[in-house]
Amino acid sequence: MEIVVCVKPVPDAETKLRPAPDGRTLDLEGAKFVLAGYDESAVEQALLLKDAVPGSTVRVVSFGPPGRTEEVLRAALALGCDTATLVESPPLAHSADVRSVARALAAAVKKLPHDLVLVGKQSGDSEAGMLPTALAQALGHPGFNGAVELKFDPTQKLFTFGRASEAGLERWECPGPVVLGLQQAGNDPRTAKLQNILKSRRATLDKVSLAELPTLDVAGATAEAFQLPPPRTGAKWIEYKTPEEAATKLVRLLKEEAKVFP
Amino acid sequence: MPDFSLTDDQTSVRDLARKFARTEMAPRAAECDRKSLFPEDIYRKAWELGLMNLNVPTEYGGSGLSLLDQCLIVEELSYGCAGMTTSIIANCLALEPILLGGTPEQKTRFLKPFCASYNLASFGLTEPAGGSDAGALATRATRDGDHYVISGEKCFITNAPNASLFTVFATTDPALRTKGICAFVVPRSTEGVTPGKDEEKMGHRASSTGTVRFDSVRVPVADRLGAEGEGFSIAMRTLDQTRTPIGALANGIAQAAMEHAARYALQRKSFGKPIAEHQAIQIKLANMAQSIHAARLLTWHAAWKIDHGEPATLESSIAKTFASDSAMRVADEAIQVFGGYGYMKEYPVEKLLRDAKLTQIYEGSNEIQRTVIARELLRRYA
Ligand SMILES: Cc1cc2nc3c(=O)[nH]c(=O)nc-3n(C[C@H](O)[C@H](O)[C@H](O)COP(=O)(O)OP(=O)(O)OC[C@H]3O[C@@H](n4cnc5c(N)ncnc54)[C@H](O)[C@@H]3O)c2cc1C
Repeated sequence: MEIVVCVKPVPDAETKLRPAPDGRTLDLEGAKFVLAGYDESAVEQALLLKDAVPGSTVRVVSFGPPGRTEEVLRAALALGCDTATLVESPPLAHSADVRSVARALAAAVKKLPHDLVLVGKQSGDSEAGMLPTALAQALGHPGFNGAVELKFDPTQKLFTFGRASEAGLERWECPGPVVLGLQQAGNDPRTAKLQNILKSRRATLDKVSLAELPTLDVAGATAEAFQLPPPRTGAKWIEYKTPEEAATKLVRLLKEEAKVFP
Repeated sequence: MPDFSLTDDQTSVRDLARKFARTEMAPRAAECDRKSLFPEDIYRKAWELGLMNLNVPTEYGGSGLSLLDQCLIVEELSYGCAGMTTSIIANCLALEPILLGGTPEQKTRFLKPFCASYNLASFGLTEPAGGSDAGALATRATRDGDHYVISGEKCFITNAPNASLFTVFATTDPALRTKGICAFVVPRSTEGVTPGKDEEKMGHRASSTGTVRFDSVRVPVADRLGAEGEGFSIAMRTLDQTRTPIGALANGIAQAAMEHAARYALQRKSFGKPIAEHQAIQIKLANMAQSIHAARLLTWHAAWKIDHGEPATLESSIAKTFASDSAMRVADEAIQVFGGYGYMKEYPVEKLLRDAKLTQIYEGSNEIQRTVIARELLRRYA
């Protein structure tokens, strides 16, 4: 089976976010970019399928500025992906419109054999959750977001997966090629081994340059302003020795100060 | 000018160790310390990730890292839990004699199967009658045809209760002092090898430490490392390699202590303001930061010299001594910043002081290190 996973470089969770002087972008100077959140699960799921279906290949693709994008691609290679393709973005495209990103990724994915295109159901930073659908559209494939329990049935050549809805768990099956936004992998994401990390640092990455991409200037959403939320006040710390004491003090505060109940 | 920046390779292996220390080791550190548990699942995972046999070349199944890379990893691991780190890096100590004294055939025979799965090894030098004066060891190796017969007892041996392989130092003739000492590789399964129970310790309680008795243990001559009488030199050259990472281990403890102290100082109030705003506390924090920074640079420098094949007995002794003394001071001051809470087991800093103490004692006590430093120094002015 030919699997392509698309991942996004996102600032490490410890990054202290602040608006850049222009007020319209984030100051990500010096931030460390990582493979995170649902993207990690997407890579894990791809590797699980590769283990389950002998002869499979997992190719990872990422769109972004070279330095940070290379980092997440190498992280994915260290975990066990077979090849990596870097789709170079124009400068400052970090908060590019989702349709531009989908088109850029699709241009690279189209060049790769694929039965399954896996992405996280939403990115680890902006969490918009629109890319899986936009990518499916750009590729002209069926697309589903929020997939869980993904399996491949090799006799029928069908992908089967679930999708949580308000009514319960939907069960789907779909032949490839299909684009899936993954909600959860069958495993906690694995950790790369030291030797594989070192090997991934020497791996050559395939590159798709700007010139090879379709025009990206889709008139879409652009960020207007970033502001830090006002500092929050009013939190109270309850000092206590026993759980009983904590509960008594909490009930008193809820009654007398927060007036949640009389 | 030297270059102090880390390569991408170095930051990525350091980040792996950092993540492992923070997500796997640190959450279990307090419990393992309290109950003196040996978290074998964590050690197994460290082996799986390649964080265990750091000094063994990749051709024998290890990670094949430079000493500086090892130091970067050890500091991160120790930040998570010093005791677990002692057990994780005991393999480096135990296998170094094979790397230094073994023939290619011995390396292949011992290291390959050992590194291919999760295994622990122990370095057996210290004896009940003395550790510092290693030349006076009493464990006997008597030649009998193509075997040696080893009898004696080792003590304070890290991982001994759990190890499958021992490197052991024994003498063919105590009168020869250092010239009579030989190094051997002895599998635990050999008849007459009896590891003792895990000792109750002040710190590093997630590590196991015990005696090993050798009762007429028959060891093939083919399992002796180096020539007869070369054992003492192998032991000393081993410690020349492993001393510097002990500095890194101490730095990890100190870094953890400083971070705990800084966070606590920002949050704890006295006289209407965070104690971090009292100058006395600021001076403590500043001294901690200085001490850690100096110790880390000394450690890196010693490792860098060794990696470049330069003699570094002086530098590695300085690094180990300075870093371990620094860790004691920093952990002590961190408790002081915490006040009464610092003295309570419920808070993390008292463990750090207990853990720091060992770094002044093992792999050559700081008194012995200072005699080495003075000897190297005086030699230059004699
Ligand atoms: C937890 C733990 C783990 C250990 N792991 C190992 C291991 O894996 N393998 C192993 O072989 N050993 C191990 N050791 C042993 C350790 O290396 C020794 O404890 C150490 O070398 C000191 O030896 P000693 O305890 O016999 O003290 P002694 O040699 O009896 O020294 C007692 C005191 O006298 C001082 N002293 C001795 N000689 C001199 C001198 N010439 N000048 C000035 N002061 C001197 C010492 O510094 C010390 O303060 C471990 C020890 C501990 C506590």
